[in-house]
Amino acid sequence: MAEVFAAGSIEEVVAFLAGHRGVSLPIAGGTDVMVDKRNGRVHPEWLVDLTSLEALAGIEFREGGKVVRIGSMTRIRSLELDPVLGRRAAALVEAARLLGSVQIRTMATVGGNLCHGTPSAEMPPPLLVHDADCEVAGPSGRRVMPLVDLFAGPGRTVLEPDELLVALELRLPDSGVGSCYLRQTVRWSMDLAGVGVAAAVEVDGSTVTKARVALGAVAPVPLLVAEAANALVGTELDAGAAAEAGRRAAAACSPITDARGTESYRRQVVAVLVERAARIAWLRATGSWPAGVPAPANGVLPSEVR
Amino acid sequence: MAPSCCQVRVGPDLNGAAEVGSDRWDGRAMPASQVDEFQVIGKRVAKLDAPAKVTGRTVYADDLSMAGLLEGAILRSPHAHARIRSIDVSAAEQLPGVRAVIYAGNVTQRPFGYSHDNLPLKRDKVRFIGDEVAAVAAIDEETAKAALSMIKVDYEVLPAVFDPFEALEETAPVIHDERPDIVGNLSMRWDYDAGDVDEAATRAAVVVEGDYSSPQAAPVPIETHVIVASFDPDGHLTVWSPVHMVFMYRKELADCLGLDWRHITVIQPSVGGSFGGKIDIDSHDFITVLLARHSGRPVRLALSREEEFTGTRTRQPIHFHLRTGADAEGNLLFRDAEVVSDNGAYNAWGSHAMLVAMNTVTSMYRVPNSRVRCSVAYTNKNYGGSVRGFGNPQATFAVEQQMEELADALGMDPMDLRLRNANQSGDVTPQGLEITSCGLSDCLRIVREQSGWDQRRGTMRGRHRGLGAAAFIHVGGGARIYASDGCGAVVKVDDSGEVTLITGASELGQGSETVLAMIVAEEMGIPIDSVRVVNSNTDVKPWDVGVHASRTTFVAGNAARMAAAAARDKLLETASELLETPAGELRVRDGVVEVAADPSRRIELGRVARRRLLREGGGVVMATAFYDPPTHNQDKDYRGNISAAYGFGAHVAEVEVDPGTGMVRLINLWTAHDVGRAINPMSCEGQIEGGAAMGIGLALSEELVIFDGEIVAPNLHDYGMPTAVDVPRTVVNLVETVDPLGPFGAKGVGEAALIPVPAAVANAVADATGVRPREYPMRPWKVKAWIDAGESSHASRRAAEPADKGGGDNG
Repeated sequence: MAEVFAAGSIEEVVAFLAGHRGVSLPIAGGTDVMVDKRNGRVHPEWLVDLTSLEALAGIEFREGGKVVRIGSMTRIRSLELDPVLGRRAAALVEAARLLGSVQIRTMATVGGNLCHGTPSAEMPPPLLVHDADCEVAGPSGRRVMPLVDLFAGPGRTVLEPDELLVALELRLPDSGVGSCYLRQTVRWSMDLAGVGVAAAVEVDGSTVTKARVALGAVAPVPLLVAEAANALVGTELDAGAAAEAGRRAAAACSPITDARGTESYRRQVVAVLVERAARIAWLRATGSWPAGVPAPANGVLPSEVR
Repeated sequence: MAPSCCQVRVGPDLNGAAEVGSDRWDGRAMPASQVDEFQVIGKRVAKLDAPAKVTGRTVYADDLSMAGLLEGAILRSPHAHARIRSIDVSAAEQLPGVRAVIYAGNVTQRPFGYSHDNLPLKRDKVRFIGDEVAAVAAIDEETAKAALSMIKVDYEVLPAVFDPFEALEETAPVIHDERPDIVGNLSMRWDYDAGDVDEAATRAAVVVEGDYSSPQAAPVPIETHVIVASFDPDGHLTVWSPVHMVFMYRKELADCLGLDWRHITVIQPSVGGSFGGKIDIDSHDFITVLLARHSGRPVRLALSREEEFTGTRTRQPIHFHLRTGADAEGNLLFRDAEVVSDNGAYNAWGSHAMLVAMNTVTSMYRVPNSRVRCSVAYTNKNYGGSVRGFGNPQATFAVEQQMEELADALGMDPMDLRLRNANQSGDVTPQGLEITSCGLSDCLRIVREQSGWDQRRGTMRGRHRGLGAAAFIHVGGGARIYASDGCGAVVKVDDSGEVTLITGASELGQGSETVLAMIVAEEMGIPIDSVRVVNSNTDVKPWDVGVHASRTTFVAGNAARMAAAAARDKLLETASELLETPAGELRVRDGVVEVAADPSRRIELGRVARRRLLREGGGVVMATAFYDPPTHNQDKDYRGNISAAYGFGAHVAEVEVDPGTGMVRLINLWTAHDVGRAINPMSCEGQIEGGAAMGIGLALSEELVIFDGEIVAPNLHDYGMPTAVDVPRTVVNLVETVDPLGPFGAKGVGEAALIPVPAAVANAVADATGVRPREYPMRPWKVKAWIDAGESSHASRRAAEPADKGGGDNG
């Protein structure tokens, strides 16, 4: 049994964690922590409850909407239902829609999903392609780092036991940007990604000026694959460019074989899904995809729609 | 086209579904059969237990409380195969709060199971990861678990075998070396011959041949096994258990533990689902009773979800190597099956899955010659139970894929091939199955029409879409696997006028209480809410085999109807006196007896009951019945009419396959089921929709993934049960053939709908991709590999034993 410390401020959380290093664990929505606790993967003496910290919650648009700050306690369901993010960070909303069930999404938080360090987690790939930074509070104050640097290995982040993820900050160009998150699963809902893929492109005229490609579930940590993104930059995102990005992403990842797929299968699927996600991101960036309409999980529209 | 021999009720979703096909099924305008002549039968009656369940007021075994109740916990083997050198429980016994620690060294127990090859607490060897070794009863769960960790077991780990083909090789480690009656790990043989397959093969214009495999799957009830046992001060034992076969349970408890079965009461609390997993007794039941005996206190044992996966019985993998041959016109000539059933560590009822699987090989469609050579292998894995469908989904996966392969080879439409060979009323199959009512052809025609089969199959490969069909035969009028296949019923009417049905049958959530109450209400002319069903206590209820084989509506329904008719006749006898009218001129409607020719002369049934009871020399209205269907145990050659009726049905599945990821999306599922008569159409639809969903799980996602004998992820997530998102709209058509022996013509439907789903989906995947699935579940990486290989993934498996041309021993 663990005792619960209900923190009143971020500073109080950090101080408590510092005073109980190694025996305390922050708990946000609890959708991972409670399962880990039941299964004996964690044995905290103290759970530090973050749910009353309003400073951690909320989606806030700044600089005329060019920047969005997402508090770490923001529920996945809030991301899913945010209409502005739906238009301008489609990958993030798509990933949010696919995470667990409505009940789980109503409890689970973006910070919890990131800090649990699960390689197949839904939140990292879309946040990576939207160039997220994370703000971390610790005993010596706040620091900001690129999200890609947060992950240390399966189930691990670089955060110290007395550090707390406070918020994420994403830059959202107001036009000419599109993104997409796709994944492979065994069933079509309530599943973990066997492969998760996000792509984002910025388009000027008919040319890709910037691109990002991120992968989940195919390496010890979520990956940002620059060489795959580079295959898209400077192109009109024709089929050849998308396929090349897929090939490069497949070459860059290091999946394992387990009960949810083989190494070679996962590599093949990375190539396929990167290609599709890049194409859908392009369609969105160029206004050819209906606004606010999510892509099917595997990126294939039902054939009667195609 | 209209159905030829029966009435059809078309599912409520037809309007939407018909858009898919080019022609509407014109049967939807047909009237449902004779429904107007009934007061209750054929009505959409909500399940009687539904309000309590949906409002959380139902009491399950885990909700029971009683003074001094202890919590039990089981220590399970971490090894797939090991000799037990010693067990030391002394430290665990010393832990405060522990009231009993039991193991083979301090209990009295005898072998149980079909082959008497199992012990509740293992003495010399463990044979799978999860095998029961010791158990504790303590004041709470945490203490019990702490005590388990203090039990020291010294194992000598032995080589293990997990693959049934390897298990049948001479060099394999022998799992049951204590059994001198068998050779190696060959625990049973099921060999059957009808006609001359080899001669028939010489006449065949086309022969198709292939391998078809299925995985280890689980029944996954949402309520895990929970058992409570308590001894009275005078030694009488009461067990609360969600088991289906309560009377056999009582007998086996007594036999194994050396108890007097006259001093055992079995009470079945509300059951939170079973799907066959709770059919009969297993180690955890004996262990709970032993803990109660050793502690002198009532004990509850509640399995965790992980234990439910790792420590209970499963659906056994069955590997078929099948050949089917036909002449040039498409008349089936023979089927030839070499089968290996991977039944795990012990022989529970799962060792008999071939009993039902064999019916499909020999009797699905008219097949004059057939041969089955089946080996049941012991392996160091969880052992087979009798999960819904009982061997039939596995057999149908082989047989019905081969029908479409055969049709393609003949250049025929698979539906035409099926219709040409379809079983018909009046057939007696070579195995001796007497086909009485049979709506198979109508079921095939309906799903053919609704799915747009003729226009669409084979035309959608460019869009990676496909249609696939599968039909099935399954016992629907009991299944005689025991000396009796009967069920008793008592109907009583006391002074209140309320009618109580005391039935041997059990409610598992399948709706039997509601259906039986409807049968009684119809027969007695009373409203459904005047009937109370009592069905949970062996001290009270009359004998029944138990819930299995889709038999309850048919067998318990006939018993209830007979008892209700006898009770009604007693009431009419009294009413006849009161109304001064011969009983034959009376009728009962809505609980009132009236003179048919002059309904103004009437008397309420409750008053009749009181007038019969409350007088000198009066009597209570009570009638009993026992119905045992006119069937036979199969002989040593597996011939005989095992069931008094057979259910038939056909499904068409439509899938879209993503060749990039191998993900399969099920788009549509059309079903048509010959249910004899729908006593409660809503209940039938529920069984069919639920069964279809379970079949979809089997087809696409459900599997206990086992590495080196260990179920790697025993949880609801990784197991892969389908969610609502994975289950498309299921179109349900109820075909009513009005069975001559069924209650009001009804046949069993409980298992039916899952049986053809893996085969139909596989056929649809083959239509969509051109490659033929050889195994299920069709998880994405397998489908992708098949597509990329560009040909059928001929499973490398062959039955280890070549076809034995001689007769078989029946194990």
